[in-house]
Amino acid sequence: MSEPEPGTTDGTGPTAAVETNTAALDGTNSDLAVHLDGITKRFPGVVANDDVDLRVERGTVHALLGENGAGKTTLMNVLYGLYRPDEGRVVIDGEERTFDSPRDAIDAGIGMIHQHFMLVDPMTVAENIALGNEPTKWFGMAVDRDRIDREVRDLCDRYGFEVDPDATVENVSVGVQQRVEILKALFRGADVLILDEPTAVLTPQEVEGLYDVLEELTAQGKTIIFITHKLEEATHAADAITVLRDGESVGTVDPDRTDREALAERMVGREVILEADSDPVETGDTVLSTRDVTVEDDRGVEVVSGIDLDVRAGEILGIAGVDGNGQAELIEAITGLRLPDEGRINYAGDDITTWSRRRRIENGMAYIPEDRQERGLVMPFDLVENGVLGSQRSGRFASGGRIDWPGVRDHAEEIIETYDVRPPDANADARSFSGGNQQKFIVGREFERDPSLVVATHPTRGVDIGSTEFIHDRLLELRREGVAVLLVSSKLDEIRSLSDRLAVMYEGEFIDVTDPDAVTEEELGLRMAGQRPDGEADRHPNPGESR
Amino acid sequence: MTEVTTMRNSLHRARAALEQRPLAAAVGGVAAVLVVLWATPASWQTSTLRFAVPIALAAIGGIFAEKSGVINIGIEGLLIVSAFSAIVVVDWLGDGGATAGVPNLWWGMLIGVLVSVLFALLFAIVCLEFEADQIIAGLAVWLISLGLAPFASRILFDSPNTANITRFENVTVPVLSELPVVGYLLFDTEPQVYIMLAGAVAGWYLLSRTTFGRWVVASGENPKALDTAGVDVRKVRYAAVLLSGVFAGLGGAGFGLGTLGTFAGTGDTVINGRGFIAIATYLLANYHPIGALLGSFLFAGLNSMQSGLQAAGYAIPTELIRTIPHMSVIVVLVLVGRTRLPDAAGDHYESGED
Repeated sequence: MSEPEPGTTDGTGPTAAVETNTAALDGTNSDLAVHLDGITKRFPGVVANDDVDLRVERGTVHALLGENGAGKTTLMNVLYGLYRPDEGRVVIDGEERTFDSPRDAIDAGIGMIHQHFMLVDPMTVAENIALGNEPTKWFGMAVDRDRIDREVRDLCDRYGFEVDPDATVENVSVGVQQRVEILKALFRGADVLILDEPTAVLTPQEVEGLYDVLEELTAQGKTIIFITHKLEEATHAADAITVLRDGESVGTVDPDRTDREALAERMVGREVILEADSDPVETGDTVLSTRDVTVEDDRGVEVVSGIDLDVRAGEILGIAGVDGNGQAELIEAITGLRLPDEGRINYAGDDITTWSRRRRIENGMAYIPEDRQERGLVMPFDLVENGVLGSQRSGRFASGGRIDWPGVRDHAEEIIETYDVRPPDANADARSFSGGNQQKFIVGREFERDPSLVVATHPTRGVDIGSTEFIHDRLLELRREGVAVLLVSSKLDEIRSLSDRLAVMYEGEFIDVTDPDAVTEEELGLRMAGQRPDGEADRHPNPGESR
Repeated sequence: MTEVTTMRNSLHRARAALEQRPLAAAVGGVAAVLVVLWATPASWQTSTLRFAVPIALAAIGGIFAEKSGVINIGIEGLLIVSAFSAIVVVDWLGDGGATAGVPNLWWGMLIGVLVSVLFALLFAIVCLEFEADQIIAGLAVWLISLGLAPFASRILFDSPNTANITRFENVTVPVLSELPVVGYLLFDTEPQVYIMLAGAVAGWYLLSRTTFGRWVVASGENPKALDTAGVDVRKVRYAAVLLSGVFAGLGGAGFGLGTLGTFAGTGDTVINGRGFIAIATYLLANYHPIGALLGSFLFAGLNSMQSGLQAAGYAIPTELIRTIPHMSVIVVLVLVGRTRLPDAAGDHYESGED
């Protein structure tokens, strides 16, 4: 199999295919594409990887499963040359290697597809694929665009990708962008592909597409390592699963010989209830209602078109949809961060359409924002200060313009303890916590406001299953106490199991409002892609395309 | 306000329509140029070209810096130091003479560019090594230049204004200068105009066709992507900022040696905000070097017009007339502005940080 050999401009020569080394060194199994042997990586105060073994056979999909902070990403960063291990060996194709930088790893045939795509939006697909490795002509005076185009088309043909090399990256869907990332690695001659949480940003249909791609890649001899904390993905797509917990490997299992409950227990270290229980409860009065709400985004484009919704006390209304279909703007209108252009919003009997954000908070509206680092926390503030955000004027914490700092500190420490924020240090800056722990702190702060309405957008995004279970339990508990909950999530299992009623939003409208148990995940996926329940043909075939 | 918005929208629609039909756009553009050339006096046209030099070259330099993610508003300062040092070098070596077989004017050009690059290097170090705010650092470059040039002039010439030197002479290209309509404009003109025209084409080629140009764009849009692709973002940004120093230096030195023949250090100096107009020009051109060249004709043309108006002696205060180019910058930006700033422009990038 011949690899593309794009000429490089830095003088190191073509990124040749990794030489096949049949001579197994010191008894290492030569069928292993990657063998991490006893990897230990310490950071100040933490052992991120403790004597971890990982054996990945050539031509297989190997899942690396674990919760946030279990050490998955650290381990892969060791493999990708971003970290030097303190102990242990990295063996690629039976040959021990030392990587000082990603460049070395790339040269050894390792490619990484990051969770947040490393793409340059206004450049074309072809330019992105070749970035940093552009073949040149005329003695380096010009990028050889014809050659890039030809090689990209060859790669697409070989692996059955449908990608237009001339399209601009910002105009293609997220699923296609992911393929561009994979092509980028292949263009550089990668034989081992590391995918970091590859499904986090995809619709269910795109996830199926990704599984097909992985199958095609392994069929042609490529090796895949994919990092995930989602059990379904690991069991569905992988040929072998290695589970990490607290920096240690807790074994490699065959997905056909295990079940989800056993895997979850292995991953978390205790028994986990996977299905959140949402027995119907008595609903009360309507707490929040919107009528004909229309919202424009920053560019003046109408992204929410006449939404009517009602949320009653003791009810969770879920809004499902692919990100970017107006959910964010609708939520901003409800929480007071953006003025709707038309329509009314009623809350607990008052018309709050033009109420200030402050007044909404003071009247018991809690809000878990989509972007925790932009809107949820002030990153350079410690948790004591962050804990009082939004309540800085409330009589509970302040009087006469002075903040009662000892009281605020107790409050923050209470949240930290109740919501199991780790490490439990109220004096640490918000930015020093992992994403999952930041999220737990925000959830704690908002739930402790004693709200009558909780607006939760992606409350468990980036949070591991242990904490997800906890946040779900708290949401259901609030609901039992008669709090109204408006939940936005792109996680289908989450939104289906928690919601009492489920709305699917597409291009600014509710396509359908339904009982979540009455639709299959498949149907829901189709509706998220714009297909109406009565089977009406989709008017907008490419929701990911640019406007 | 609604009228402005309506006008803006129709302009955008027209632009989008033209982008769909490049041939029609080209034909229309040529026709418009011909009409302007037919309707205006030749003296105004040559004056426009010569006054476009600092604006166009500084704008092209600014494009490289900003496209790489470093907003260089110090190009006004770079124009000042390069124009000043070029004049000083020529005066020092001897007006009208030659040194080591090369005319002193060209030594002035070289030193002007080198001084500009030196200032650009200081700016780059402050921004890239010490993570200074790019806007503040750029303002500092301007303010330092604004003080330093007249100060040095006082020491050397006992006046904020330097001595006069003999300017570049026209270089006539045989045959081509006989071409109808454009011959006398483009092929019988001064060296700095040739440099400007060549600089615009070279800038466009470098940015859109070479590896370096692609890296510059990636560095300004998503430096992390470039970093993970194995390219050193810091080096790319250094190169881009130094290149902005080269272009601005050519513009400032060319303007001083070819168009002015002296450096006046009073007020905002003889550069008088041309570097800032250059910034408006490249924003208007949405970072396209050829577009920046055309935009510089617009502002230089207005400048020549206001000079003409002043000379004509209408009963309008000259202060008011002098604001015409600057006011038009605002009007044009409001009407045409559809600039897409690079995503990472103004942000410091450190490899290995999340």
